[in-house]
Amino acid sequence: MTRGHGIGTFTLAAWTALVVLFLLLPLFVIVAFSFNDSDFPSFPMRGLTLKWYWRFLESEELLIALWNSTLVAFATMVLATTFGTLAAIGLARSGSRTQKYMRPMLSTPMMTPRLVVGIALLNMFNLLSMQLSLLTVIVGHTVVAVPYVILVVTARLVGLDPRIEEAATDLGATRTRVIIDILLPLLRPAVFGSALIAFTLSFDEVVVTFFTTGTENTLPTTIWAMLRYGITPEINAVSTLTMIATVALALGAEVMIRNGGVHRR
Amino acid sequence: MRTGRSGSVPLLTPATAWFGLFFALPIAAMVVVSFWMVTDYKLVPTFTLANYTKLAQPLYLSIIVRTFAIATIVTILAALIGYPVAYYLARRLKRMRVFVLTLIVLPLWTSYLVRSFAWMLVLGTSGALNWFLQGIGVTDEPVRWFLYSEFAVIVALVHIYLPFFILPVFAVLDKLDHRLLEASSDLGAGPWTTFWTVTLPLSRPGISTGCLLVFIPAAGSYVSPELLGGPSVLMIGSVIAQQFGLVFEYAFGSALALTLMLGILVVALGLLRIGRVQGLK
Repeated sequence: MTRGHGIGTFTLAAWTALVVLFLLLPLFVIVAFSFNDSDFPSFPMRGLTLKWYWRFLESEELLIALWNSTLVAFATMVLATTFGTLAAIGLARSGSRTQKYMRPMLSTPMMTPRLVVGIALLNMFNLLSMQLSLLTVIVGHTVVAVPYVILVVTARLVGLDPRIEEAATDLGATRTRVIIDILLPLLRPAVFGSALIAFTLSFDEVVVTFFTTGTENTLPTTIWAMLRYGITPEINAVSTLTMIATVALALGAEVMIRNGGVHRR
Repeated sequence: MRTGRSGSVPLLTPATAWFGLFFALPIAAMVVVSFWMVTDYKLVPTFTLANYTKLAQPLYLSIIVRTFAIATIVTILAALIGYPVAYYLARRLKRMRVFVLTLIVLPLWTSYLVRSFAWMLVLGTSGALNWFLQGIGVTDEPVRWFLYSEFAVIVALVHIYLPFFILPVFAVLDKLDHRLLEASSDLGAGPWTTFWTVTLPLSRPGISTGCLLVFIPAAGSYVSPELLGGPSVLMIGSVIAQQFGLVFEYAFGSALALTLMLGILVVALGLLRIGRVQGLK
């Protein structure tokens, strides 16, 4: 806060507050309507009810979708975290030439519209006459999630002191030992954090799922299909639940990634 | 960490193999298929440019133009709305910074489907916005063009991708050497001059990354225009999806998807160039 500001801090603060409201208010509308005692989501709200949540718990279709989503997200998390973490370590240890080309290459799925990722896979599976199922969904989600894992783990690797590894090597540790005993424990917060990112990314994904799934539906594709027939209050309840679940995971990831600094000393 | 070069290959293998088999190969297959044709709902290997010449039809041209126009408007709006926020967070806010940043990142963790759907509730004729405007007496009748319009699509896309602009700009502004700003004002520049001649040019890498992160998904968006655009606001994503989902025109769909990617690539390279041109560092 030195002298003379162009625009007053107050103006900027007010603008920021408005933008935060703009970002959050629409989400609160969903939450509010999920408790609204009316078949049609319109203001003013009628009264409070939990019946849309009960509807969700009674709907076999939605519960199966929830199970499918969880299954896919878990598998994606395991695959993407493993591949991404190994790749991040591998990239950090390879020569600058390899890094220069491999880093941007491995991150292209992140910079490609999800729609293109989805239909490109669909097109290939179709050419190979492969059966679409939750397995093909997991394949697609993993493609999208790996770059995020690489990004997060790399950020942590950069902050590590290379002398720790050198010391271990000097003391006779093999390369595998160094990774298992030294690097992975040091990387743990970033690995767990990126695992949660991969999980939520998969849990929320619609477009890739829509094009790579067979007859099974996940929660987002079920919501997507329901929305085609108009807005029903159950959608608000389901959306609220998924928001709570993913935001809880997100805060977990935040805490893990940030607390990573504590172990570093 | 720069030691042991040979050991990196097995570590990179799983990710690279997955990338090659399930990203690079499918894209390559799409390139090939875009030169094929479809007869009786079956792909026929051949070499034809018909799928690309079809793109020149006024209908598809107008959709392509609309898509890139909407993505450009969304990017510019996100920049204008997001820059002051990033600036405030990085240069003026101290104690509440992490809290406000968390609030800005929070929506990113909810699905873009849910966020698009939220705008149906806000912008509809009986939605929150119309209720509010009628309540304060701005309008007697609900405004119809809020939903199922380009306006709705643009609002939702700005909402969904705005954090992607704020974060990289914040990161750059946060690391900005404040001695440069002091030097500028010591040399007699007013706050606005300092902003235009020092702060803004130095935040260019963040702005270009931010624009990229907004433009790419906005140009390729499918869910938001489908839900909020109505039948008259077709974007290229919906047309691509139709080719694969409804009409089994995989060859034409592939050509459309590649055109989209090519367009995005051109814009991305342009933005990266803008971000890189920088004397310092």
